[in-house]
Amino acid sequence: MAVDRSLIGKVFEATAPMAVSAESIIEFCRTMEEHNPRYGKSGANGEIVAPPSFAVTFRNTDAFFRFTPQLGRGFDAGKEVEFFVPIRAGDEISLTSIVRDIYEKTGRTGTMTFVILRSTLTNQRGETVAHVDHRFVHRNPAAKENPAETE
Amino acid sequence: MTAASERQFAQVTIGEALGPFEITIGKPLVRRYAAACGMDSGRFRDDGEARAEGLPGMIVPGNLSLSLLSKLVTDWIGSGGGHLKRIGTTYRSMVLPEHRLTLHGFVTHVDSDSRAVEIDVWIENDDGERLVIGTASVEFPTTA
Repeated sequence: MAVDRSLIGKVFEATAPMAVSAESIIEFCRTMEEHNPRYGKSGANGEIVAPPSFAVTFRNTDAFFRFTPQLGRGFDAGKEVEFFVPIRAGDEISLTSIVRDIYEKTGRTGTMTFVILRSTLTNQRGETVAHVDHRFVHRNPAAKENPAETE
Repeated sequence: MTAASERQFAQVTIGEALGPFEITIGKPLVRRYAAACGMDSGRFRDDGEARAEGLPGMIVPGNLSLSLLSKLVTDWIGSGGGHLKRIGTTYRSMVLPEHRLTLHGFVTHVDSDSRAVEIDVWIENDDGERLVIGTASVEFPTTA
């Protein structure tokens, strides 16, 4: 599988601002059985503050794979998330995603293609909320075992 | 897992353990998490749809593993001024629902100057296999 490294640095998706509802944060907190008083209904100053990992619910990485059908969907091999500003109810989050890196690795199970997509979340005040680096792995036809074995 | 009251930077020592906490991720939780996150893939919803993708059945989304490990750290921080600055995870093996798992953390580095703490985090199965591994960075304010 040829790796088209010219895609590195390409902005492949920039979303319109997405409103963060109080209900979405509260549902996330309920799902995670979040009891930390910093998050959910009892945030500081009466605000409804999302737990940090709420940031990974904002995704637009599917757009990348639509114009690289030869890669297929692949598997989520990992994430790196850097948090800057908490997400609060009423925020409007915009998402811009770029191709940060593409590379191949060869291990016991064959050659695989790794794609690193970086999504930058920005709020309505222009503050960077988070960087989310998504690491996807795509098995080449000869690779049959657990892809992460080569990492 | 429950949030501690308020962890102070001065309390933190290298080698301190977070957890372990046992958890069984049920299929209803997988479906609810996927729905809350707008993840509409069948592999997170239905065993049959997952098998049609060549999987053994429903799997736990990587994002849910990341969220559980994030919560392990934010519970440890508690309600004080410290905050989770970064978390990175690697999904080494598929995490399947309805299996008993254990969440672990271990303080590996404490920097008194920057008041920063590095923590190894992982999810382990009953065979001791680390299915998800990662690291987290926590920062404490000077007043904490």
